[in-house]
Amino acid sequence: MDETNQNQTEAQTKLNPFEMALKNFELAADLLGLDTEIRNQIRLPERELTVHFPVKMRDGKFKVFTGYRVQHSTARGPAKGGIRYHPDVTLDEVKALASWMTYKCATVNIPYGGAKGGVICNPKELNDFELEHMTRRYTSEISCIIGPTKDIPAPDVYTNAQTMAWMMDTYSMARGEYCPGVVTGKPLAIGGSKGRNEATARGCVFVIAEAAKHLQIPLKGARVAIQGFGNAGAISAQLIHDNYDAKVIAVSDSRGAVFCENGFDPHRAIEHKQRTGSVVGLAGTETIPGDAILTLDCDILIPAALENVITPCVANSVKAKIVAEAANGPTVPDADTVLDQKGVFVLPDILANAGGVTVSYFEWVQNNSGLYWTEDEVNARLKQIIVTAFEEVLLASQKYKVNMRRAAWARALDRVAEALKVRGIYP
Amino acid sequence: MTTPSIGTGITSLDNILQGLRLGDNVVWQVDNLEDYPVFARAFVETALQQKRRVVYVRFAAHPAVIPETGAIEVRELNPRSGFDVFCADLHEIIEREGREVFYVFDNLSALVTDWGTDELLANFFQITCPYLFELDTVAYFALTRTRHSNRAIARIRDTTQVLIDVYRVKGQMYVQPLKVWDRYSSEMFRPHRVTDQCWVPVLASDDAAEVSLTAYATALAPVPRSIAPWDSVYRRLRRYQEAGQELSEQSPEIRALKEELVRMLFGTDAHFLELVNSHFRVEDLLDIRDRVIGSGRIGGKAAGMLLARKILEKPGCDYSETFEDQDSFFIGSDVFFTFLVNNDLFRLRLQVARGPEPTGQEFEEIEQRFLEGHFPDEMIGQFERLLDYFGQSPVIVRSSSFLEDSFGNSFAGKYRSEFCANQGNPQQRLEGFLRAIKLVYASALNPDALAYRRRRGLVDSDEQMAILVQRVSGTVHKRYFFPMLAGVAFSRNFYAWSSRIDPQKGAIRLVFGLGTRAVNRVGEDYPRMVAVSSPELRPEFGLKVVKYSQHNIDLLDLDANDLVTLPLSQVLEGGDYPNLHLLVSKLKDGYLMHPYGTDCSEAPSDLVLTFHQLVTQTDFVSLFGRMLACLENAYGHPVDTEFTACVDENRQVRVNLLQCRPLQVPGISKPVGFPVDIRHERVLFRANRMINGGLVSPISHIIYIDPKKYSALRDMTVKKSLGSVVGRVLKHPDLSGSQVLTMGPGRWGSSSIDLGVNVSYADINTTRVLVEMAREEGGHVPEVSYGTHFFLDLVEDGIVYLPVYPDDSQAEFNHSFFASPANCLADLVPSAAPYAEWLQVIDVPAQTGGLQAHVVADPHNQRAVCYLL
Repeated sequence: MDETNQNQTEAQTKLNPFEMALKNFELAADLLGLDTEIRNQIRLPERELTVHFPVKMRDGKFKVFTGYRVQHSTARGPAKGGIRYHPDVTLDEVKALASWMTYKCATVNIPYGGAKGGVICNPKELNDFELEHMTRRYTSEISCIIGPTKDIPAPDVYTNAQTMAWMMDTYSMARGEYCPGVVTGKPLAIGGSKGRNEATARGCVFVIAEAAKHLQIPLKGARVAIQGFGNAGAISAQLIHDNYDAKVIAVSDSRGAVFCENGFDPHRAIEHKQRTGSVVGLAGTETIPGDAILTLDCDILIPAALENVITPCVANSVKAKIVAEAANGPTVPDADTVLDQKGVFVLPDILANAGGVTVSYFEWVQNNSGLYWTEDEVNARLKQIIVTAFEEVLLASQKYKVNMRRAAWARALDRVAEALKVRGIYP
Repeated sequence: MTTPSIGTGITSLDNILQGLRLGDNVVWQVDNLEDYPVFARAFVETALQQKRRVVYVRFAAHPAVIPETGAIEVRELNPRSGFDVFCADLHEIIEREGREVFYVFDNLSALVTDWGTDELLANFFQITCPYLFELDTVAYFALTRTRHSNRAIARIRDTTQVLIDVYRVKGQMYVQPLKVWDRYSSEMFRPHRVTDQCWVPVLASDDAAEVSLTAYATALAPVPRSIAPWDSVYRRLRRYQEAGQELSEQSPEIRALKEELVRMLFGTDAHFLELVNSHFRVEDLLDIRDRVIGSGRIGGKAAGMLLARKILEKPGCDYSETFEDQDSFFIGSDVFFTFLVNNDLFRLRLQVARGPEPTGQEFEEIEQRFLEGHFPDEMIGQFERLLDYFGQSPVIVRSSSFLEDSFGNSFAGKYRSEFCANQGNPQQRLEGFLRAIKLVYASALNPDALAYRRRRGLVDSDEQMAILVQRVSGTVHKRYFFPMLAGVAFSRNFYAWSSRIDPQKGAIRLVFGLGTRAVNRVGEDYPRMVAVSSPELRPEFGLKVVKYSQHNIDLLDLDANDLVTLPLSQVLEGGDYPNLHLLVSKLKDGYLMHPYGTDCSEAPSDLVLTFHQLVTQTDFVSLFGRMLACLENAYGHPVDTEFTACVDENRQVRVNLLQCRPLQVPGISKPVGFPVDIRHERVLFRANRMINGGLVSPISHIIYIDPKKYSALRDMTVKKSLGSVVGRVLKHPDLSGSQVLTMGPGRWGSSSIDLGVNVSYADINTTRVLVEMAREEGGHVPEVSYGTHFFLDLVEDGIVYLPVYPDDSQAEFNHSFFASPANCLADLVPSAAPYAEWLQVIDVPAQTGGLQAHVVADPHNQRAVCYLL
């Protein structure tokens, strides 16, 4: 599962988040009044590795692939970030996403820096045999810079637990020792963590609960609309309905949205989607256009699908009191201003969807200690970290009198800057 | 009211019959055809003297029955065009000629030479005579005595008003009326000795006995020696066989008999007959003949199935060990017409086939009339024996019409196939079976089928409905019966989503359970598309595989005695389906894990049908690849097959080939010349995936439904109506002869109007290009349809299908052209003006100052362009 966001889609990867990351960084740096030297030190990635490697294909031919691994920062700990397989992977994109990981880890205060990797390939054109061989060779190529205390990859776009298993095995074989901590997002059978599959959604719902408490919005009976009904969206719907008695009034997927004024049981929606492939047609609901879900009259809106869906125009019509960004970058920067003016409380992506990377961290901790936790333990620790992170971001927001996004970035950047500062410069 | 008496031209005969009446059909059964003209000429002469119009219906090779003078109108018909066309043409003649016309027909016995069976002869008579009766005509027919089955003669006797035997005893001609409707005398039905002076009834018993003994030597014989080839050819070949003679095709007589038998069973398509003749031995044909219920041909679907199996059992590509045994029965095409005739449906069919297509409601009424129809007792007896043979094994009753699955026409999905779970007591099973047959028969008048025939110029073709009754392949699991694997396989792959896939190597649409889910369009559920050249590749990755997998299964519920669709999880509960590990992957820790053993006892909801182990660890795909290549090679043409299959614990694959037909693909015969250097502003759009081939030029009109406006349209009534408006535009007379491109959002014909415009195939079957637009809406890119039954309709009709992604820069979508074109919808169809906001009809030359649009689609290189020139 992708720890940047479990719901990455193909469409998303076509959008380069670099500009968005840079803009947020600059705003946060301004807010902190960060020294130019520190800014320059953080702005650029520490390490960029490009590899070109051959893979023997099923038909006996060789094909040369290009891959990257970028470590943006290791100031606060080993670099952490996913590996994506996609034909549109570029070094610039990988660099941007690596920096994003630095701030996300810092926001929730887990001891990691940020990294990202990728291979230019189309997994739909590779069979399992070829995917495995490509993964193993890529792992071998980047093994000089990864490791449990150096850089810990995880799944991302078009990579999954199986990919991580191959990576872990390749690395372990080369080292001649069992190294489960070299990657996270592994299958449970080889050291994966319980609770990881639900982690993004669970973290998102924890942070929503804290926000509601802060805004004095009772979650019981609160009207929730969720755009996207993949892993994060569907599990968020379940959790907020089951654990907080909120009323899920609308959900959507790529085929459209369903709405019911009085709310519906999201378990029914999950079952319907499993049965029919879509939420559309769920009994007792009305079908509405997919994008209409963003502007429904509701208390909580969870965009859990795609980037850039809340434009200034859409933001004008948003009626929710809380927007929790389970997806990466669902709000375009200009729309933030509109939402601020309307008094919408936005829980930014680097906070709202950091549950995934947090449980990745737990996986690594368990691998390193050799002691494995129950799911309840995982969830309790996740709650502790997310709630603390929320409180700290909220404090920063109040301190700097900025919205939660700028506060989160400022809090994250401050932590990275502080680490750099105290560590000093080698040699 | 007295009925006017009509003269026969022979006073003695008038006296015996008490004259003819308007409405009489007079059948002369003669031993010698030379006797018929004697009566026909006398009749015609009298009629002409009485200023009657006389029409001579000429169709046989024998000398003219009456002189073809100017006073007589001769209408020639060709029995070789087939029963259906012959009857329809005659019907038209009778309709045109009108009332009180006198007819003379050639010897009807000649018809069985071409039609093969007495059944059709009787059917012909039974549908023609009542119509002549209605129109107050008088008609003379001849039949050769003792050369037709008792059953056929009995039906003719029941239908006609007058039936007269003419025979000779010791050189003396006798005439003996056997039936004279509504007339009687004490001597009427005695033999009458014909002399020049007067006709004398044979009254003395000894004379009568002598005459009758000579004339009716075989009167009560159970099986008369019918001259119909259906019986006679079979009889002769069987006689050779029973005599222990080798049925060698070196013998000219046996070769001729074989060819005749092939023609009667398989039809007249030269290419197909050549294949059949070269692959079937006489013994094979006799075995097929033994499994025909009734008489007549077995139809295209049955023929394709049998031929494909034969091809694959030949040395060199011997798959006989791989095949499940085949024990199908065939309900001969004559039975269809007998059913129509006996239930007064023939004229209804004629009217519907030649008139406007029936609406959905009208078709329901037609279907109801078919369901109320009855079969003759003799036929019921045969059906009962068939059901006894199958016991309680489920069977499928499949349409197998003459035109179906032939070269150039597939009729895919046009006619019906009905599953019979075949449970219950014998009476219940028979009722279910009869209902299935009637529904298949009714589907001959299905609006989609009629539209398809019209579109392909087949309205006037001989189309008869035979039926293939197949044992359903599969096993019992819990209370359900279904095959492990089923699907369709093509010898060419037009669904190549990757350059690594070789389009020449075929594709398989694979499902678990009954193949209906692979053959039909099933919204929101997906068969596994397997590229034979690269079986492990699939167009999805990761958890998308779960979404784009089969979630439901079609199967026969033996307790409910019905075909049902159930969620996969319900069927797989317990994980004890044999060899399930070959079919599923397991959803575990958020990813799909392929089984490493045979245990599949996980929660059924975590099992996903990927067929991964089947595809990667058994011979299944390579076996199909070889079989498809072998079939294509033998057919000399790409093929399209339907199959069921299973794999045992030793990974041995067993296949049941259910159907095989030529696959028609425009553009496959030669490479498409692809235009280069088109100026960017002249490009309307490009497509680069999942396209079939073709060249459409010039295109004068474009029907365009804007995806954004469609998506925003809240009025469901308007939304639902857009499909029929598209249909009205496409059928508009002003556009007939024009080439039209139709483009709209998402999936054309989807059952959900949110996913695409609600059309039936009949609505859009006259467009030349159909474009499905996947335009991003609110962050969602709608899916286009691919690899559906509907898609094959388009392929076969030569309609170019293109998926276009307007937001993809490679599509070069000409946004400005489509932004606000002049809309001629209201001018074309004024009543559709209220829909102009969402549906635009672009007159391309008017819009572009004289340019026209052109589409070139190259299936081999998966690229297409629509441009202005």
